[in-house]
Amino acid sequence: MVLKINQRLPMKKKIILSKKMKLKKPALKKASRIDMEGQIHLLKNDLDIFRGQVSQGEDREQLGAKREKLSADREKRAEEQIHIRTKAMESTFDGIFIIDALKPDFPIIYANPSFYNLTGFTKNEVIGKNYFLLYGKIQNLHSLEEIKRSLLNGKTFQGEMLNFRKNGEKFWSLLRITLVRDKNGVTTHYVGNKTDTTLMKQRNLEIEVQREELLHVTRVGKLAEFVSSLAHEISQPLTAILSYAQAAQRMLKDREPQLQEILQYIINDDQRAAEVIRRLRYLLKKSKPTFEQLDINILINDTITLMMPYITSKNKVIKFESGKDLPAIQGDRIQLQQVLLNLISNSLEAMESSEDFRELMIKTSLKNADTILVEVKDSGCGIPPENMTKLFGHFFTNKPDGLGMGLSISRSIVEAHGGYLEAKNNPDQGATFYFTIPLNKKSDL
Amino acid sequence: MSAKIYIVDDDESVCRALKTLLTTYDFVVNTFNSAQDFFDKVAFDAPGCLLLDIHMPGLDGWEAQKMILASGSKRPVIFISAEKQDNAADRALQVGALGFLQKPVNGQSLVDLINGVKN
Repeated sequence: MVLKINQRLPMKKKIILSKKMKLKKPALKKASRIDMEGQIHLLKNDLDIFRGQVSQGEDREQLGAKREKLSADREKRAEEQIHIRTKAMESTFDGIFIIDALKPDFPIIYANPSFYNLTGFTKNEVIGKNYFLLYGKIQNLHSLEEIKRSLLNGKTFQGEMLNFRKNGEKFWSLLRITLVRDKNGVTTHYVGNKTDTTLMKQRNLEIEVQREELLHVTRVGKLAEFVSSLAHEISQPLTAILSYAQAAQRMLKDREPQLQEILQYIINDDQRAAEVIRRLRYLLKKSKPTFEQLDINILINDTITLMMPYITSKNKVIKFESGKDLPAIQGDRIQLQQVLLNLISNSLEAMESSEDFRELMIKTSLKNADTILVEVKDSGCGIPPENMTKLFGHFFTNKPDGLGMGLSISRSIVEAHGGYLEAKNNPDQGATFYFTIPLNKKSDL
Repeated sequence: MSAKIYIVDDDESVCRALKTLLTTYDFVVNTFNSAQDFFDKVAFDAPGCLLLDIHMPGLDGWEAQKMILASGSKRPVIFISAEKQDNAADRALQVGALGFLQKPVNGQSLVDLINGVKN
């Protein structure tokens, strides 16, 4: 009970309490404020007598006010929150839409501006419409069925698909639909979130194309080397056959015209075979390397970018420790990328057998004032000592489908750049392939 | 007196066939399966023309020619190779050889080249 002092009264002997002050509890409960007037004799010292206005309901009133204030605050906060959340929904780049799951035709009841931007539809064309009808005619039916199936089974949906804007323009989108349930577990709404992944997709596609091109170059390079080796092996017996036939012709001089004729056929066909090989070799002739100034770190980064999807798909990780302030080198970009690609692929294959072997590391450094060193270190199965010397030879491979040309080509490329390519086993695990590129080297190619 | 021909090629069949062919032209032919074998058995100043394969294990044709020049030998050398390198013919002339023939070698062209040396 709070006593409000209005006024100081002259001193009196006794407290006279007016009848009004005798209030009953029910009244108190109802009243928010009751004024009482009376004189209060404070027994102590008998000195002060006040006329007080006792406000019985004040507690209650204050409480009420507090409550009012509280609820107003809460409302304000809630409003703020709604405001912020609405803003978030409206400003995000993702297209967001909400479907009323309780209505039979599942109408869209909300869509944010990004959704309209993304799809090209206007508010009037979207609100109240069924999401699937929106795309009905041109959408890939298969993915629509998949979405419907997930939702009907009470599951969220996530998937990437090719969509069409209202004007027919294609775009890739990642669609996620989640379910909103009430406290009884009944799905009341579906909330969809659409992300435009076209750019990402394009970038990935570009990377894929570049990687394919590089692999093609490598394959052609491998084929050229292969044909070259094959040509050499076949030319030897062709040489012998031709010489024998010509020798026999000379020995039979003026005799055995039929045998002479047969020998001539052998000679002709021998020369035909030689011609086929010559032409094949010409077709696959390696293109001349073009030397330019290169930053080895950038080159490696580019190569890693190309290989990244492949590395990730193999569940491996790659680390690049790039040496600081390395001078530019003179080199053929494609050829050096081919070397890196080959070394990285080999390392990945060496680590294929086990989940424990995961880390691939590339390191660049200055070996000495005029040589750059590039190391490709894996944590794979290592190289058996008996294979160490054969590694770089033609046709050496431990892969069932390998040509055995990768390392020999890589070595010839590095040598054409004036460096060398070597391999060693790591003291702990795996192997390291490393190559050098001399600086200021004028190439002899 | 018949002219002497030495053939160095790691392929035994090629050696034998070329020898057979050149014998029909009345040359006296000796064959070797490696350049080292040739150096071991034939004195640097022994007369005779050398048919030298380029692609061989151990000493290759280019290295062998370097050693011949270094020894002060005046031996005429004809390179023969299955490998068609763009500049092989030029390079052969640069290192003092008489010529370069690509395998399979036509007998008459070879003999013409050798006879060119003789004269």
